[in-house]
Amino acid sequence: MTVATNLAPSEPRRQAAAPAIESRRGSPFMNPYLAGIGLGLVLLSAFFIMGRGLGASGAFSSATAVVVEKVAPEHARANDFYLGYLESGLDGHTMKSWLVFEVLGVLMGGFFSGALAGRLSPTVDKGPRISIRGRLAFAFAGGILMGVGAKFARGCTSGQALSGGALLNVGSWAFMIMVFAGAYALAFFVRRQWI
Amino acid sequence: MMAPFFKYDLFGDEFSLIVAVLIGFGFGFFLERAGFGSARKLTAQFYLIDLAVFKVMFTAIVTAMLGVFYLSWMGFLDLSLVYLSTTYLVPQLLGGALLGFGFVVGGYCPGTSVVGMATGRVDALVYGAGLMAGIFVFGEAYPFIEGFMYSTDMGTITLPQLFGVPYGLVMLVIVLIALLGFWAAPSIERYFRNKLTEEV
Amino acid sequence: MSKSRPPWKWNWIFAAVAVVLAAVSVGGDPYRGHVVTLNTKELGMIVDAKVDHVTAEELADRLIQGRTDQRILDLREPTSYAEYHIPSAENVVLGDLVDYPLYRNEQIILYSDGGIHSAQAWFLLRAQGFPGVYMLLGGLDAWKDEVLFPSLPAGADPELIAEFDRLVQVSQFFGGSPRQGSGEDFTATPVQMPTVEPPSQVPVARKKKKHKEGC
Repeated sequence: MTVATNLAPSEPRRQAAAPAIESRRGSPFMNPYLAGIGLGLVLLSAFFIMGRGLGASGAFSSATAVVVEKVAPEHARANDFYLGYLESGLDGHTMKSWLVFEVLGVLMGGFFSGALAGRLSPTVDKGPRISIRGRLAFAFAGGILMGVGAKFARGCTSGQALSGGALLNVGSWAFMIMVFAGAYALAFFVRRQWI
Repeated sequence: MMAPFFKYDLFGDEFSLIVAVLIGFGFGFFLERAGFGSARKLTAQFYLIDLAVFKVMFTAIVTAMLGVFYLSWMGFLDLSLVYLSTTYLVPQLLGGALLGFGFVVGGYCPGTSVVGMATGRVDALVYGAGLMAGIFVFGEAYPFIEGFMYSTDMGTITLPQLFGVPYGLVMLVIVLIALLGFWAAPSIERYFRNKLTEEV
Repeated sequence: MSKSRPPWKWNWIFAAVAVVLAAVSVGGDPYRGHVVTLNTKELGMIVDAKVDHVTAEELADRLIQGRTDQRILDLREPTSYAEYHIPSAENVVLGDLVDYPLYRNEQIILYSDGGIHSAQAWFLLRAQGFPGVYMLLGGLDAWKDEVLFPSLPAGADPELIAEFDRLVQVSQFFGGSPRQGSGEDFTATPVQMPTVEPPSQVPVARKKKKHKEGC
């Protein structure tokens, strides 16, 4: 009990500190460990049923390849990168691929959970010290960096870090360390966007 | 030993797409539950004021890792049939760093941006457009960097193979690192939130 | 503490479970390696039911129809493979077979010169849990006799001649040459094997599959 009394003086200060990032509307977020176990079981069932992990950036790649093919069919077909995605769909339909359908599921699952918690609303998510226009510009720029990075790494946080991480894939762990290193290295310079 | 079901041809390609939607649904559901439809929540990880990303990610990795191990060990799952991507070390290190930059600048990763879009985040939508633009840039550059993309090929290799230690030992180390992180997380979060309050 | 959060003690239970599970597994290896268990009864029944093979004619029909949903594996030595192989066949020697990239949901057709190597390979793959494995009945010898160089014995009845016309077309499709007559003519004509296409590449179907699994 002496421990408790020792802690007591710091209590008011802790009250004054910035709160955890909580849900701005609707019910509070789930215990992260519980959500992590849920996510882990979803990943495990993907391994068990499909023999593959989760992914996300692949679906964006398929979509990009389709757009490029619509605009310049020959150009797209001459490029091995686009061609790989164009030919990977079922029955010759590029968008009829596993990852595209999985991402559709993500969209539905996210919507369902958001609706359940009352967290659906058109907003721009940002810190108090940046304009909406500024935030959107950063979002676009970040997307470009992410797109290039995900393709260099042959996967994103879901495909490499999460799926490969659980399978103890060497490349995935090397990748994961670099993701955190890169993000922490740049975090200071874009802090006005978030805090 | 009948799993992975798909690789044993227990169902076809068409049905696999239905499975894809269901698995994706679960994925999106738990991401949103954890609050990962919000870029602020995600990037708080990089200012150490909310370590939810680390907590959720490592709990998920540990859960799936132990699950895969025990299902294989008990003979239900043939792990050699589970897709393991090839390691190309240098491209992956470079990609990881770029992705880290993109994460803290854009606020999402591709998977969480989809959840952001689903819950009405406009910035997630713009981010998704940027993502496709980035993939386009990569695609256009691909013919010139194809050689680099296939450099430092280490084959399909796992950490236990790399270090020459038992699979289970690597798992134990990862579990202990994760738990150490979870144990330290509240103190770290409190320290940096206090610091932030003093600054602002 | 808001009520939707479980009590913190749950986190401790999860942590304890993870540590125990990881500690128990130390030293374990989840990869099965090359050790398999066999259901000998089931294998025996498959052999009995004679559903473990395709005939040369059936294979020829498949290829003429342009079907690509099968993998044809040539189990002979690379030198023999280079001289001639059935179109779209891939060369795998028996020793490399267990590590050769194949999918459980593919139809795999095996052939060697006669039948011994393909029968051995058939057992290896069945033991590894590949359901769709078939042997080319009679091996490449049968392929030569029935598809490439079909023969019409002298004095055949009209029905047989009509059938032979069809065989001639099949034979020509694969670059063979039908033989007519009998007895001594037969062996006198040196058999000219069709020239071989450049060694077949990795089939497109497999490449696609690989790509689909990445992120």
